[in-house]
Amino acid sequence: MTMKILNSLKRQSLNTKLALALLLLGFLAIFAGDPYGNAKTEIDAKELALIVDKQVDHIAAEELADWIIQNRADYRLVDLRTEEEFTTYHIPTAENIPLAGLIDGGLQRNEKIVLYSEGGIHSAQAWFLLKAKGYKAVYMLFGGLEEWKDRVLFPAVPENPTPEQLAAFAKIKEVSKYFGGTPQSGAGSVSAQPKTEMPKLSLPAGGAAPKPQAKKEKRGLLI
Amino acid sequence: MSAPFFKYGLFGSEASLIVAVFIGIGFGFFLERAGFGSARKLAAQFYFTDMTVLKVMFTAIVTAMVGVYYLSVFGVLDLSLVYLTPTYLAPQIAGGLILGFGFVVGGYCPGTACVSASTGRYDGWIYVGGLFAGILFFGEVFHWVEKFYASTPMGQVTLPQLLHMPYGLLVFLVCVMAVGAFAAAEWGEKKMAAKKEGK
Repeated sequence: MTMKILNSLKRQSLNTKLALALLLLGFLAIFAGDPYGNAKTEIDAKELALIVDKQVDHIAAEELADWIIQNRADYRLVDLRTEEEFTTYHIPTAENIPLAGLIDGGLQRNEKIVLYSEGGIHSAQAWFLLKAKGYKAVYMLFGGLEEWKDRVLFPAVPENPTPEQLAAFAKIKEVSKYFGGTPQSGAGSVSAQPKTEMPKLSLPAGGAAPKPQAKKEKRGLLI
Repeated sequence: MSAPFFKYGLFGSEASLIVAVFIGIGFGFFLERAGFGSARKLAAQFYFTDMTVLKVMFTAIVTAMVGVYYLSVFGVLDLSLVYLTPTYLAPQIAGGLILGFGFVVGGYCPGTACVSASTGRYDGWIYVGGLFAGILFFGEVFHWVEKFYASTPMGQVTLPQLLHMPYGLLVFLVCVMAVGAFAAAEWGEKKMAAKKEGK
């Protein structure tokens, strides 16, 4: 019986065979299920751990500032905070994609992406999320917006500065002014009150709360 | 390895242009091999004497559909990352009619016009010239038609979403439709050939 069918199949033209194959594949498709959500991306835990260990997934605040000043366009800066926080202040050139909308946020797997949040925790979580989804070049702003304020907007000279530190401060002072920040001048001048008014955005700035300068010890907790 | 390759970062934007050149040459080559460099062959479609266009195009569609479907089911391709042209129903119907009108009058569609031009046919070159003139004209009058151009937006919809139908069932129905269309085309060709001989 089967031989008979096979023999009669052999005598058919190639077109008929192809048509039958198509109908068979189409019929099987009814039972094969949904095509969405089957793509697996493997997480190479070892590779990720190495990246974390070597800290090559970080961008320092000063480095990011340089990129913005140079007007570099080979990366996308993503602000993970809420829309409200974003409207109040965000790093220039950033786009707002809250954590929940990250995967559908229109980011491409082959783009260089720099993430930041208020501290470092949300951006670290988003970093893992994107890495697990197969995004290649994901970086975090080291220390998040806190670090951006400390290092770029309101930089201060360390106590008893070395000549190198003074030279670095002279440079960052200019960078700070570019971003509308206020360098905390005068090392050791205890009387000078830290003036940390957030720079005004072209967007209607909400209550830009002055940030107390005594948050340095928190850095150890940040990723 | 996961597809789409570009979205997974196998190559960057610059390399993608090189890939596009090769895909384009392949596309043109097979169009030419199907005989689509000739306006006579293409126009015969509209007189039902030669249904090659329907057969080739529908074959390409169902091959791609079945391939994409099974690759996605097996997890090789992430279908959610494949770009879909958003649907704007009214302007796309109008655009389709304009394209169809040009196709009947001139005997080429944009792709086959390029194939014809690259094989050295004069009508192909004239057609490609008209193509660029049309693009320029559209660009110039764009602000007049802009409102219509963006009307009736439906987003990136697929037939299974629109018809609330399981994806696999739609694949099957399109396969049946294709085989039916092939059989009807062969039958029609024979009928027309007989009619011609009878004359």
